[in-house]
Amino acid sequence: MSNIDIKRISYLAKLKLPHEKEEFYANSLKDIIKWVDNLKKIDTSETEPLHNVTEKTVSIRKDEINKSNSVDDVLSNAPERAQNFFKVPKVVE
Amino acid sequence: MKSSISHIKDSLRDKKISVEELYDEFLIKAKSSKTNSFNLLLDKENNILSIKESQKRYENGNPLPLDGIPLGIKDLFCTKGIRTTASSKILSNFTPNYESFVTQKLLDDGSIFIGKNNCDEFAMGSSNETSFFGPVKNPWKNKNAPTEDLVPGGSSGGSAAAVAEGTCVASMGTDTGGSIRQPASLCGIVGLKPTFGSCSRWGIVAFASSLDQAGPLTNSVEDAALILNSINKHDFNDTTSSNHVREDYSNGINDKLDQKIKIGIPSDYLKDVSGDILSQIENTKKALIKHNVEFVDVEFKTTEYALSTYYILAPAEASSNLARYDGIRYGVREDGKSLDDIYLNSRTKGFGDEVTRRILIGAYVLSAGYYDAYYRQAQKVRRLIKDDFQRIFKDVDFILTPTTPNEAFKIGDKLDPISMYKNDIYTVPTSLAGLPGISIPSGLSTNGLPLGIQFIGNYFEEKKLLQIAALAEKELNFNER
Repeated sequence: MSNIDIKRISYLAKLKLPHEKEEFYANSLKDIIKWVDNLKKIDTSETEPLHNVTEKTVSIRKDEINKSNSVDDVLSNAPERAQNFFKVPKVVE
Repeated sequence: MKSSISHIKDSLRDKKISVEELYDEFLIKAKSSKTNSFNLLLDKENNILSIKESQKRYENGNPLPLDGIPLGIKDLFCTKGIRTTASSKILSNFTPNYESFVTQKLLDDGSIFIGKNNCDEFAMGSSNETSFFGPVKNPWKNKNAPTEDLVPGGSSGGSAAAVAEGTCVASMGTDTGGSIRQPASLCGIVGLKPTFGSCSRWGIVAFASSLDQAGPLTNSVEDAALILNSINKHDFNDTTSSNHVREDYSNGINDKLDQKIKIGIPSDYLKDVSGDILSQIENTKKALIKHNVEFVDVEFKTTEYALSTYYILAPAEASSNLARYDGIRYGVREDGKSLDDIYLNSRTKGFGDEVTRRILIGAYVLSAGYYDAYYRQAQKVRRLIKDDFQRIFKDVDFILTPTTPNEAFKIGDKLDPISMYKNDIYTVPTSLAGLPGISIPSGLSTNGLPLGIQFIGNYFEEKKLLQIAALAEKELNFNER
């Protein structure tokens, strides 16, 4: 197992770990990854990955309009809104 | 013994108690409880309309299947107009504008929600200690250390504690790797995880979408069947919802078994277990053998890989599912100078340690260079685990296992995540295979704490599963002791 680059992983997860906790999470991650490493010894060259256990086909509904999730409903939990939009700091200069 | 749903319905029908008095009785008890098993309780005023309508139906002689029954709902189900937090800081201000499929079905059948049950944050935990709102205390005490506060198990720990102490008649929980069955076992009640795809996940805060499944925590197997009747329905809003024909799960639940039943006991599950745990299996064998039940030893080839598979797949799915919490559309926003700072600050301050840890594991196993070695390999091993179960089910009707490797432990006792994860060793394989499992209380440990056994059935065979569980429940007689 290669060393865990905790800064890179937390960047991928959009988390800004406090400096004093980086080592705590890095060690914890290292232990867990070592623990799950036993899967590598299983020969799965002939095995297909399993995504959905029941492997039933998806059922298709009629394309009918329903009136749930109005703009006001959707925006009612927004931390900040302006008219019919979610409000965020300026993104494009 | 606590009242069953059918017994309470009889009392309401016979006017021994009104729907309002029943609600008051449970609410008063819940308010004075010290277990911290509710994140939110609903005052009578919030439910007065439903209470009155329910009473009217009793008076007109046409009550609905769960009419007037006070239920707890794990705080992971979106409930319209009622705060839904997933026991996380990041959702601590969230009030959904819609009702989850499962809770809507429970409302349609007349039940009344008394409150939202505490749980592990985003259902990630096996002891209910990761909740932003603090740990839940198990109502049971170790008779050799009666001052210690014990965990109720998790993640549906608030649900299990509330049902066990009688502050709701039953509670809706969710199970991803054991989150219904394990707390049910540690609190001495019944917990059913249906087949994956039985009960819609629509409106349940997502943890690991290929594993999450809703199910009831109840005082009896019959109550679990009655609730399953309400919630086990096809739903177009969940693409994994199965459209098989559903049965009436409570009808004939106590009928005599008309054919010989064969139950497999996995010998590899019983290696190194304590005498207390082993005797649960032995007692169940003794109790059922006189009912035309044959027991055979079976052996899995994949048990040692189940936890590793689960702790790759569940965090991987969680890291994707929890990407939606960014402080923009809902949930708690932490300020920042740029959009990116808002994302980073909201997520970092909004998630607790265990959730952060699992997001990091998920991001790692999905990242470039590791995806094939971890995530894809785990998905392949998952198929081997499913095939392993199918091989065993060619010979047996059910599999019998302990639900947990130990009794309820002290709050704060298990600090190392891996030792915590090992609590789900008997429940995780079933979840990975998507099979139905039910935990029923089977006896007490030498410390006087409840222990449970788990029956596992084949896909969509909940009807048979509930019948065998009801028979074992009657024979083991846990509630009458």
